[in-house]
Amino acid sequence: MLMAPKEILKIENLTTHFYTWAGVVKAVDGVSLEVKEGETLGLVGESGSGKSVTALSILRIVPRPGRIIDGKIIYKGENLLEKTESEMEKIRGKEIAYIFQDPATSLNPVFSVADQLIEVIRRHQNVTKEEALEKAIELFRLVEIADPEIKIWSYPHQLSGGMKQRMAIARALSCQPSLLLADEPTTNLDVTIQAQILELMKNLKKKLGMSMILITHDMGVVAGVADRISVMYAGRICESAGTKTIFYNPLHPYTRALLEAVPNIAMKREKLKIIPGAIPNLVSPPSGCRFHPRCDFAGPACVSAVPPLVEIEPEHYVACVRAKEFSGKLPSRS
Amino acid sequence: MLRYVIRRIIYLIPLFFGILIIVFVASRIAGNPVQLMTVQNPHITAEARQRLTEYYGLDKPLYHQFFIYLAELFQGDLGNSYALRGGIAVTTLIGDYAWLTFELQLAALFLSLLIAIPVGIISAKKQYSKLDVTVTTTSLLGTCIPVFYMGIIAIIIFAYFLGWFPAGGAHSILPERYPFGSYVLDELWHMALPTAVLTFATLAPVVLLVRSSMLEVLRQDYILAARASGLSERSVIYKHALRNALIPVVTYVGLYFGAMLAGAPVTETVFNWPGVGRLFVEATTKLDFPVIMGITVFITIMTLIANLITDIAYGYIDPRIRFE
Amino acid sequence: MKKEKSTKLELQYQNEKSRPKGVSQWNIAWRRFKKNKAALVGALIIGFVMFLAAFDSLIAPYPPNATPGFYVGEARVPPSLKYLFGTDKLGHDVFSQVVYGARSALYVGFGAAAIAMSLAVLVGLVSGYYGGLVDNVLMRITEIFLVIPFLLILLVFLKVITAVAPASIGGLSIVTLMIGVFSWASNARIIRGEVLRVKESEFIEASKALGASKRRIIFRHIFPNVLHIIIVLTTLMIATAILVEAAVSFLGFGDPAAITWGHQLQLANEAVKEAWWEGVFPGLFITLLVLGFNLLGNGLRDALDPRLRE
Repeated sequence: MLMAPKEILKIENLTTHFYTWAGVVKAVDGVSLEVKEGETLGLVGESGSGKSVTALSILRIVPRPGRIIDGKIIYKGENLLEKTESEMEKIRGKEIAYIFQDPATSLNPVFSVADQLIEVIRRHQNVTKEEALEKAIELFRLVEIADPEIKIWSYPHQLSGGMKQRMAIARALSCQPSLLLADEPTTNLDVTIQAQILELMKNLKKKLGMSMILITHDMGVVAGVADRISVMYAGRICESAGTKTIFYNPLHPYTRALLEAVPNIAMKREKLKIIPGAIPNLVSPPSGCRFHPRCDFAGPACVSAVPPLVEIEPEHYVACVRAKEFSGKLPSRS
Repeated sequence: MLRYVIRRIIYLIPLFFGILIIVFVASRIAGNPVQLMTVQNPHITAEARQRLTEYYGLDKPLYHQFFIYLAELFQGDLGNSYALRGGIAVTTLIGDYAWLTFELQLAALFLSLLIAIPVGIISAKKQYSKLDVTVTTTSLLGTCIPVFYMGIIAIIIFAYFLGWFPAGGAHSILPERYPFGSYVLDELWHMALPTAVLTFATLAPVVLLVRSSMLEVLRQDYILAARASGLSERSVIYKHALRNALIPVVTYVGLYFGAMLAGAPVTETVFNWPGVGRLFVEATTKLDFPVIMGITVFITIMTLIANLITDIAYGYIDPRIRFE
Repeated sequence: MKKEKSTKLELQYQNEKSRPKGVSQWNIAWRRFKKNKAALVGALIIGFVMFLAAFDSLIAPYPPNATPGFYVGEARVPPSLKYLFGTDKLGHDVFSQVVYGARSALYVGFGAAAIAMSLAVLVGLVSGYYGGLVDNVLMRITEIFLVIPFLLILLVFLKVITAVAPASIGGLSIVTLMIGVFSWASNARIIRGEVLRVKESEFIEASKALGASKRRIIFRHIFPNVLHIIIVLTTLMIATAILVEAAVSFLGFGDPAAITWGHQLQLANEAVKEAWWEGVFPGLFITLLVLGFNLLGNGLRDALDPRLRE
């Protein structure tokens, strides 16, 4: 077996809570995951499961009243949680970049795109304004925008959604980051544009040799892009494995439920299944396994203790006390 | 940009005429001003009233009077006073008083913006901190105290108990009392107390507005995105957030200035400040309609100009308006 | 069997969450409001002033007489046990006048707010819902009222009315009416904005599709959804109206027959040097009452604004 590539990012027991006046929202509660060099990790879960908060925690830009209270974020061998604020400023945008879900709100409406790009470039690279502008135009070519010399002077409100997301991607890539955090980058776009943007990101990742965390609630999106997938539920990781394993041998009941909720051409007369109930209130989450109130297979053990994330098979981690029982026994999906 | 400005000007014209009509109706709602002014004078004869009415052109139909007023207005003529300084031209009268009003109101406006914007930003940045709580409480209290009450308290403390500033007026009566013999210093010395009170009164709502606007902006994705790009906290707050947070503030400044000018009667009465506000109170007490109309029209024009400047600033800050 | 177990667990989970599903918006708002100390202080202040107004003749140590007013025999006496807030130059007991002034302040506040908000709601709803030409015309009129030097017009109106009818007919009511008629514009704009927001929502589309009449949509669907904004604006409007009345009375254009705090301040302003107590106490009560309504309004906004609700 080949030596497994080194991990570029390793998160251990990350805990980020929000101190609202309705109570402490345990948005991320002991998340562990890793991204290997050159790899794309799909971080999947329903909205409100803590995916975005995990990503924001990596850059330490969790908005108030959120606070990271525990855990380690090891990036290239160094714990980001021990760095000073000014050291972090040098990592953000340069080493690790972020693409937001909604391009309509993630670009500042009062500055031209050129201004915004030049500022980021000059923040991390020692170049003149003119050189930065040239680099920005270059980036526009990279994200396949026509007439970059003209388009770069537009203001965000003058552009279409797909165009804005290309610009947001250009901004994220402006300093050749090693790790890209893409938070639902296609969710707010038209379906046809979605495919284009995904394709573009896949190519760019290859071209620039980056690693990427692709956050999405859509199993269909990660299927074609991710190498590995971590499934998140109510602030915790419930299953982590290679993309194929997740699709063909899911062991966590939640992963299975998610997959059953994806429409598929192969399905003929079957009804799309829905997951009963809603994501729990994270101020007072259910005891034990947080999925147990919605789980068809829950037993007393699921209510009493938090199931740890265990390696059931090589490179296949599951946080379910009954995972071993399900292994191989569950009827496979296809 | 030029087209935007022209559009704004065209837009303000019907506004001006609307206000003009309301003001005109307000001053004539009770009928013939001569009748009103002389109602308590037992010695006047009906004949004399008739003569006065004809003299001021008040015998013509109302719409006719309005058009005459308009025509004169466009020639820069606001008519003559009925009761003040032997029928002095209203424009001359306003010219004599307006500068003192402007001096006071503009100083207060600029000072309050100068203080309110940074204070509001810091307060928002440190939301719920002790500083923030102090700032918001003080500001809230500031919006609840009537300006004239604040003025009276300031006069009691700083003019009578401490004796630091004069209690009223714009100048010492005797030139010998000018500080260092300087007329300008004397005026500044007289201005200090009213300016401070007016600044605090104007400051309070602006601080609250800047703070809430800043808090709103700091919640936006593009601020998170700016942070995620590694921009310094200074650039995030003072460049990216501030420019957006100022948009609602700018739109209010024009209205604030209008409200300040319209409130001039109150502030000027407390401090005995000889500006158009006090002139207005005097004219209204004497039912001197040409002066009443003149000052109202004058303040309206100033308010509209302030609004136009606001609009231009707004267009400058927000490209979405400029390129519409 | 498995199925049974899971439903049981689900039920148990439901019980754990103590919040039943049928809790209304108003219930949640009330809970939030109760937690807000500042708002409760505001309500307390208003309650206190209302108490003064309701039992003014019992609380005030010196009764009002037509002439010579509150004359108690001694002019410009500093505060003492006998005259809690001192007496003014005409020998009125300042404390008694402050107590009687409470009713005027509340009368003007509630009255003017009622008039202004009725106009604002009407203009806001109609303008926001119908849009088009109606909206355009109404908004131009609103802008005129926004820019107009309102205090100046108010003073002229009041002066003219007292000149026409010197034996003023219910002077305080006229002041109230005038303040109301001239202060609806900014609230109308806010309500219009809210109506536009609600109008876009799907449930309005749905009731349109079901063939509901325009009037029904406005009153049954849109109005309840902007009601919380109206409540907040009304509370803040009361505060503004009290301040405006005080300013008008201070300038001597108020109802000379009514006992108002602003009028007390006018008399006090003639002699701040000799008798500071004449003005300090009535002003304190204006500030206090305005603060009360502002605190209450802010508290209501926090409690009722669904955008702040989790």
